[in-house]
Amino acid sequence: MNKLTTIFAGAVLSIAFAGQADAQKATEQFIPIGESPGLSGSQTHIGRIQGFNPASGILSLNANGETHDVRITSDTRIWLDRSAAKLSNLQGDTSDFEAGRRAEVSYVDPAIGDTASWVKVETDN
Amino acid sequence: MENPRSLLAIGLVVALVSACETTPDPPDPQKQLIERGRDLFFNETFEGNGRTCGTCHREENNFTIDPVFIATLPDDDPLFVAETNPALAENFENPRLMREFGLIIENLDGFGDLENTFTQRGVPHTLGMSLSIASPAGPRTGWSGDGAPGDGSLRSFATGAVIQHFTKTLDRVPGADFRLPTPDELDALEAFQLSLGRQQELSLPLPLKGTVATRGQAIFLDDTLGKCNICHRNAGANASLGGQSLGNANFDTGVEDQVDRPQTLTGEKVPLDDGFGTPGDGTFNTPSLVEAADTGPFFHDNSIETIEGAVAFYNSEAFNDSPAGQFLANLDPNGVGIQLEATQVVEVAAFLRVINTLENIRESIALLELGRGREAGSAEAAERALNRAVAEIGDGIDVLRAGGLAPDAVMHLEEAKRLARKAARAWLTRKSLADQAIEALVEARDVLVRPA
Repeated sequence: MNKLTTIFAGAVLSIAFAGQADAQKATEQFIPIGESPGLSGSQTHIGRIQGFNPASGILSLNANGETHDVRITSDTRIWLDRSAAKLSNLQGDTSDFEAGRRAEVSYVDPAIGDTASWVKVETDN
Repeated sequence: MENPRSLLAIGLVVALVSACETTPDPPDPQKQLIERGRDLFFNETFEGNGRTCGTCHREENNFTIDPVFIATLPDDDPLFVAETNPALAENFENPRLMREFGLIIENLDGFGDLENTFTQRGVPHTLGMSLSIASPAGPRTGWSGDGAPGDGSLRSFATGAVIQHFTKTLDRVPGADFRLPTPDELDALEAFQLSLGRQQELSLPLPLKGTVATRGQAIFLDDTLGKCNICHRNAGANASLGGQSLGNANFDTGVEDQVDRPQTLTGEKVPLDDGFGTPGDGTFNTPSLVEAADTGPFFHDNSIETIEGAVAFYNSEAFNDSPAGQFLANLDPNGVGIQLEATQVVEVAAFLRVINTLENIRESIALLELGRGREAGSAEAAERALNRAVAEIGDGIDVLRAGGLAPDAVMHLEEAKRLARKAARAWLTRKSLADQAIEALVEARDVLVRPA
């Protein structure tokens, strides 16, 4: 590959793959906790919220006896899962991170498991 | 043939043949999975508003819909559920834009403001997907590559489609407005979709015979002129440079910046479609071109009706001022993005018409081979395959004829269509008719391309 082609390939790659990390996937909002295809059961954590520290932006989730500290950022989408109550799921925010609530966390990079791409919080209202 | 003795004789022959049948081969699990996927795709409503996957991805119309096809549907077709279900009358579809331009509403940037935040896109076909959705960054589904929830795969796409398009109300409550596909159903739907269309990339250049299409192919492959092959390697959906495949990729080509897009002339609300991501980055992923000529209108917004118009788009200011156009211009010694003469536009389009027809021929031969014997598995499946072959051949005829191309090939295709249609209706002579149709298709192919 000559120099021009290398530059060319790099430029195409930068155009082609800009913004890869965050896909839209908006319909995820309406999928109940534990039913996200290809994610739930393998790439997410499902458990109970232990607490949320607004200063650090860390959500603590107890799943399978382990505590997972999850970073919440402005890009993290938060949804209220009301499907068990046969109500429409809604967009939520960090004020919905109440201790004891059941929640599911999906990660930007499941291999690292640090920053959440989305969090679903179960509620009946 | 009408008298009782003849019928009795035929009945005896059938009984004897049936009695002599050998034990059938054990069922192929993959074929069974695909067949189940087919059944789900066309018949399963997931307890929703009556739509199925096949409502928009019509088998008889290349697994897509367009305004001409939509005009043939009855008013009670589930496609028009927004016109018949009061709960979906607002903010679910725009019936005018659906009927006039084949546009479907997608809430890709979220469901928080249904009245103002939505996009309107055409229905992409589902052919050749085994070749068109893989990228180093993961699978790319839908027009902007990010259509699926969950892990973003084609397997997960059906879940998102049910939520977006199958719901009884805008509350979109699972268990009330629809049910979500089960993991087994997702497996089957994925297998069916991946089985559709071609399973192999072309290897360009092809030894084409037609003067115009041959010149079109040369322009297509010329990285200093047509520059098409950079993003549509081998006229597929994948980019490649220096022998390195980049897979399916997203580009901002300025389609949204075109002046006088038809849908914007109506006075209806047409929000900007910002493409990939939330908020979007303006990029859309690259569709395959082999299947393009018979699956228009073109681009994510159905803004261009003809394949000639789609090629001409790349001459436009909208493209040449776009990030993708500027990128090409920066590489060009003369600072030109893409600038083709009118004759060259038609030549590239002719090339795309010919490779589309060659794909029609390949697919219809495969369907005729499937439908002529027992391989289809059932009489219904055999007839379905033959009817699809008729439709495929018809597409090839339309595609060539609309471009004024290869009249001799059209003649052979007409004959193949006549024979395939007869084969679909025949019983005793089905195999012979199907074989004759295949011969006519081979003759048509030989008009278009030199034998390998």
